[in-house]
Amino acid sequence: MPAIRNQIRELRGQREMTQQELADQVGVTRQTVIAMEQDKYSPSLETAFKVAIELGVPLEQCFQYDPHGKR
Amino acid sequence: MAPSLSYREKTLYASLAAELVVYGPYFFLHQQNSVNKVAGMIIAIIVLQVVLQLVIAAFTRNRVTDERDRLIELRGYRAGYLMVASLMVIGLGMLWFHATVGQLRLDNPKIGLHFLSVFFGMLVIADITKTATQIVSYRRAL
Repeated sequence: MPAIRNQIRELRGQREMTQQELADQVGVTRQTVIAMEQDKYSPSLETAFKVAIELGVPLEQCFQYDPHGKR
Repeated sequence: MAPSLSYREKTLYASLAAELVVYGPYFFLHQQNSVNKVAGMIIAIIVLQVVLQLVIAAFTRNRVTDERDRLIELRGYRAGYLMVASLMVIGLGMLWFHATVGQLRLDNPKIGLHFLSVFFGMLVIADITKTATQIVSYRRAL
């Protein structure tokens, strides 16, 4: 299990938002959104906040930290 | 959704292709290297890179780069630096060895060209390492 997990895919799906739309609003590439959704890339704090804001949820609802997870 | 190639990734593939097309024949086909060939190769790689980057830029609508691109770029530069530093140490070690056993002939008229080829080769290998590391990082999602 990765140390930082997220609910981006689920939250994005609930809002019927495409990966490209989220990427454009956050200012990253679609490939970065894909990497985040697959838990292969942990974004910077600034990008994490932007993602949470765009998805309309608090940061901790979008991203979770597991201290025993793999970094 | 399967990740397609980003703008940065396309430029990396183009760079790697250009490097292999230009440097490959130089290092593996030419028996007699010369300063003119090195200069010609540098010009060729610059022209080829510019043309390829222009074509990619013209056909890529979304040219956004982000923090992950910068992270991967840094990772590539680190790999390239480690490669060139390692090759330098190995090269200096071999130079020292040849000097020690008396095989280093500095009076050879082609010694300068030989050193130029070796150092240029080190830079080429480091550059290819940098580009390949970045491509692998993109394919592994980081």
